[in-house]
Amino acid sequence: MTEQTGQGPEPAHERASATQVGARGPEGLPDEVGAEPGQADRATAGAGRPEAGVAVLPAFDDHHPPAQELIDDCVHCGFCLPTCPTYVLWGEEMDSPRGRIYLMEIGRQGEPLNDEMVRHFDLCLGCMACVTACPSGVQYGKLIEATRQQVERRYPRSRRDRAFRAFVFRLFPYPRRLRVLRGPLRLYQRSRLGALARKAGLLDRLPRRMTAMERLLPTLGRLEPVPEVTPAAGPRRRRVGMLTGCVQRVFFPEVNTATARVLAADGCEVVAPATQGCCGALSLHAGREAEAQAFARAAIETFEAAGVDQVVVNAAGCGSAMKEYGHLLRDDPAFAERAAAFSDRVRDLSELLVELGPVAERHSLPVKVAWHDACHLGHAQGIRAQPRQALGAIPGLEVREIAEAEICCGSAGIYNLVEPEPAAELGDRKAANILATGADLLVTSNPGCLMQLRNALERRGERLAMAHVAEVLDAAVRGADPRTLLDRR
Amino acid sequence: MGEDGGLVQPAPPGSAVDGVPVARVARPGSVSEASQVLAAAAADGLAVAFVGGASKLGLGNPPERADLVVSTERLDQVLEHAAGDLVVRVQGGARLADLQAALAPAGQWLALDPPEPGATVGGVVAANASGPRRLRYGTVRDLIIGITVVLADGTVARAGGKVVKNVAGYDLAKLFCGSLGTLGLVAEATFRLHPLPAAAAVVTLEVETPERVGAAVAPLLRSTLEPSAVELAWPDRQLPGRLTVVFEGIQPGVEAQAAACAEQLGRVGTAVVAGPGETDAALDSLGVLPFEKADVGVKVTCPPAELPAVLADLRSGPLAWAGPVSAHAGTGVLWMASDASALAERIAEARERLAACGGSLAVVKAPPELKRAVDAWGPAGDALGLMRRVKERFDPDRRLSPGRFVGGI
Amino acid sequence: MDRQALIRRLEEIVGPQGVISERNQLRTYECDGLANFRVIPSVVVLPETAGQARDTVRACAEAGVPFVARGSGTGLSGGALPVSDGVLIVLARMRRVLEVDLDNQRAVVEPGVLNLQVTKEVAGDGFYYAPDPSSQQICSIGGNVAENSGGAHCLKYGFTTNHVTGLEVVLPDGELVHLGGGKAPDPPGYDLLGAFVGSEGTLGITTKITLRLLRKPEAVRTLMAAFDGTDQAGDAVSSIIGAGIVPAAIEMMDALAMEAAEAAVHVHYPEGAGAVLIVELDGPEAECEHQFDEVERLCREAGSTTIQIAESDDQRALFWKGRKSAFAAVGRISPDYYVQDGVIPRTALPEVLRRITELADERGLRVANVFHAGDGNLHPLVLYDGEVEGQEERAEELAAEILFTCLEHGGSITGEHGVGFDKKQYLPRQFSAADLDAMQLVRCAFDPEGRSNPGKVFPTPRLCGERPGPRRVHPAEQAGLAEVF
Repeated sequence: MTEQTGQGPEPAHERASATQVGARGPEGLPDEVGAEPGQADRATAGAGRPEAGVAVLPAFDDHHPPAQELIDDCVHCGFCLPTCPTYVLWGEEMDSPRGRIYLMEIGRQGEPLNDEMVRHFDLCLGCMACVTACPSGVQYGKLIEATRQQVERRYPRSRRDRAFRAFVFRLFPYPRRLRVLRGPLRLYQRSRLGALARKAGLLDRLPRRMTAMERLLPTLGRLEPVPEVTPAAGPRRRRVGMLTGCVQRVFFPEVNTATARVLAADGCEVVAPATQGCCGALSLHAGREAEAQAFARAAIETFEAAGVDQVVVNAAGCGSAMKEYGHLLRDDPAFAERAAAFSDRVRDLSELLVELGPVAERHSLPVKVAWHDACHLGHAQGIRAQPRQALGAIPGLEVREIAEAEICCGSAGIYNLVEPEPAAELGDRKAANILATGADLLVTSNPGCLMQLRNALERRGERLAMAHVAEVLDAAVRGADPRTLLDRR
Repeated sequence: MGEDGGLVQPAPPGSAVDGVPVARVARPGSVSEASQVLAAAAADGLAVAFVGGASKLGLGNPPERADLVVSTERLDQVLEHAAGDLVVRVQGGARLADLQAALAPAGQWLALDPPEPGATVGGVVAANASGPRRLRYGTVRDLIIGITVVLADGTVARAGGKVVKNVAGYDLAKLFCGSLGTLGLVAEATFRLHPLPAAAAVVTLEVETPERVGAAVAPLLRSTLEPSAVELAWPDRQLPGRLTVVFEGIQPGVEAQAAACAEQLGRVGTAVVAGPGETDAALDSLGVLPFEKADVGVKVTCPPAELPAVLADLRSGPLAWAGPVSAHAGTGVLWMASDASALAERIAEARERLAACGGSLAVVKAPPELKRAVDAWGPAGDALGLMRRVKERFDPDRRLSPGRFVGGI
Repeated sequence: MDRQALIRRLEEIVGPQGVISERNQLRTYECDGLANFRVIPSVVVLPETAGQARDTVRACAEAGVPFVARGSGTGLSGGALPVSDGVLIVLARMRRVLEVDLDNQRAVVEPGVLNLQVTKEVAGDGFYYAPDPSSQQICSIGGNVAENSGGAHCLKYGFTTNHVTGLEVVLPDGELVHLGGGKAPDPPGYDLLGAFVGSEGTLGITTKITLRLLRKPEAVRTLMAAFDGTDQAGDAVSSIIGAGIVPAAIEMMDALAMEAAEAAVHVHYPEGAGAVLIVELDGPEAECEHQFDEVERLCREAGSTTIQIAESDDQRALFWKGRKSAFAAVGRISPDYYVQDGVIPRTALPEVLRRITELADERGLRVANVFHAGDGNLHPLVLYDGEVEGQEERAEELAAEILFTCLEHGGSITGEHGVGFDKKQYLPRQFSAADLDAMQLVRCAFDPEGRSNPGKVFPTPRLCGERPGPRRVHPAEQAGLAEVF
């Protein structure tokens, strides 16, 4: 496999943890050996997992600990609890934002970073619904990222856990490696072998997390890359760069082509550099700081070289991460200012379209649509009105609100891979709320959510047409038959 | 009795509490005098009953002993009326009617309309007396915000305060509501007040059967109309009953609501909006109890949605009680007149039937011997042990109206 | 029974995932919404059914350990502050709505059900649950019962105690009893339900609550009126009440509170306003309209500079969001703050506010004021910086002085937040020894062993007299902290 540019031989943070606690280096694919179920396994109602039985003291070192000023903003009011997915599931303080901030605080005061504490940090989805709910303006996103980074560097995960995470992060941020899997996966999906394996329940014999991954895969169609440059239709209003992503690029390429077409239709020249790599979102949200920083630097350089006015993102998690580049690279004198400037020019697709104002005519699409607010769009970026506005401007299209919209669907980056049980419960909850709207089509703006929700609906024996907002807008601009949206998947 | 300061006198001949003769009476004129009297009674081990307007002495079972009546007739002052705060502090012996008269000039009233004339404020609290307008304003417990009580040993204790919003300490005032003098004397009470409504409108409907009552009342309660009272009067089983719906407030409001109500009730029968003279007459006779001329009166409670079925059972079902009936149809309270033999025969079955839907049947008027036979209250639920413990704490020597309350407390 | 044995026993009752005994996890429960006081509990238990709750309490009784009940942990008086050698029983997992009976206008819920959840459950049918504390999106019904919680709309509709008609209660010895009539009115016997609501967890734990539901009113009208100062706003309130109008809610915020709320919610309060009133009327359309016009007129006559009328549900929600977020939003304009809760007769409002300003100036501190102007319930928010030497102590002093001022004017030391741990030292200022002794009679009837939330509400714990069998000296008595009562 070819290494992606910007990736070193062995990530610094993994080397660091190896020396600090005397663990051996990271392994390859996971094996079946697991430690004895420890206290942490029973400590919460959440999915228990055998841990290393270790406590790290002090809990945090001086490199970006969760900031005291941010912790002090929390007045312990509890308004965040009812919107926190893990509190909604388990009803215990440690798995709520208020409780997690408290753990950060006592960690700073001298309590050890032990299995239980790490467990509760790991169980946080990073959905940031708490940020939306908090009346005191606590920047929980920054707190949990700082904390996760500390955990990744300094806490010795179990061998199995480390191995699985290493596997995930060797695969997903690398579109070329994902593409290599496409062929075999397609074959597997289309073949009777795959169907038989599923039916026979063979897949349930795999480790839980592998099963989770398998179930999330969408049905793969033909791979159609986005052209390097898409000219604007009519007078050019802007020159924008487009992030093609990793999972999006490989598993939902039609979303990218639709995105380019819609932007072009509204007067943008769209530049999608072929050399671009991962934006680092998964790494950033999982606390793999050095890895994320490397991806960020590369992304900034790529798009600076492309000479664009703004960078458009059609995946909520990626847009959110890119808007944080300024914070992520604040310590790097070579990049700090460039990153901050870059972040200011990042736009979500619907955000940009509303900012520009539509040019191309939207043809009628008489469809009842349930709009799902991806957490990294609604909570992390505060973008709720724009997608609704963009969809609402399509004649004949009815946007229906989903109950409990603020509660995460359970996708949350790699969460549904590393914590499949709570992810499934949340997915089920969201699926029920979606079906209750009576909509014909589920629309969202994040590939992770799409996979998670399709999976959840299938578990209930339901199928609902799903689309990315770019595809809906594209269909409206092209005057496509609504059935092209409704008859798929 | 030595230390009572001459407050205790022999009672007039024939004095009795629910048929139990009483030898002595005290008429304290202040809280400290009341305290003195009770302390003295404690020293002598006397059983004490409290009497205000004597309108509810027939409530509950006859007491096992009654040596001393403490009358509140001299504790009749309205102590403080803070009109700007809608609050009044009044002594327990003040008559409710006098209190209302004192509040009226400021355009305010204590939102209680029990039908018994001559009732005192203390008696209303101790008996948890209520009337038709409980539908809108609640009962005593919802209006009382402070209390001063004199306990069995003479201790004076206060709870609550003079402000409507108050969660400091336990809400003893509620504990005393309906306690019928078995926990102590209600010497003073503070209430929240309401503005006196400027206008009223009344809608009436004749109802032939209990089902009709349900058909009329259920949609009314589900609507956005806000009646002050929904009363059923059914004096004669052979004739239709009458449903009276009262709206009170500002003129345009009551007019609009009465019209809307008449339209709604019109789907069940002929609903009539009363003219001005009839409105007053209807309001005057609102909530009159049906057992003035009868030996026996009972109070039935049930969930309001069950009222039509309960009424049907009591009147024409297996219980076949024949007496006149009136009811607070929106709240689930029903009053019925009866006679001694019917009561004795059917009370057990009636109580069972009511217990099944969570209701109760209390005998509120009957000759003492009859009450001793059937128990005025009926079953008190699984908290009876707890109630006994509360009684034991407040009245360890069991001298305050012993035996009058539920479970023989 | 030693701690390990108790833990094992509790795990038998609720399962291992319902018992917390690891230090870091226990520490997340060491305080409720009042973070000034922290005590690490010995064990935390999360029952999921009434049976488990009862068995947990019984296990505590058998082990002779005290227990404290907790809902969502948002109380502001330390009512859920644990006892260090005791068990913290968290009801957050008992959160089912068991029954909705619209014909009788009742709902039966478990104690962990969130306040707002009740309304959400019945909103589709046109009903709602009236008591609406500002924390209603998170506070639990069980907590509301313990504190007799109010909210902005309690002026017209009353408090939790007026909306609870039945309770299933686990007494401290593990007995299960039912208080109140549930759906039927006037149950025979003492109103123990009335005594239990507002008893702050000192009489037992409720496992089922029957709530009264109200029909949503036909019309709602809300306005926000700005004034030059709180005096003028207070005058407006007086004239509204004096006109015989009972609004559903009248709330007042002063300039500092508006500053905080604006930062959090962006309501767009009028520039330069010294005070703002939110007045809401509801009821039948004809009545509501007429009275609303009158309220508007009275506000102008009292000198209102700007009046905004809510044109839509969203706008109304925004007015309220600003008010309800005010406490927590104050965190944006001050490093620390202390929210006080006192009540005064409404007519004393202007004078008391003046006095608060005086007291604050004397100590060099700022106070933001948010309050239920209709019923005189004040929430002065004392702002301070804990990092600056002596400020925290001065802030506490100021908060206490404010309470004494309330008492001087015939008010109360708490309108809604409860006495809890925070104010028990002040209870003897409001009540005499005889008054407190009378309340103790109730406590002794429910909890003779003194194990249900001990150390709350009453300043000097009273033991309830002789117990049958050889007399053991209670540790509190031995330590000179209690007397036999």
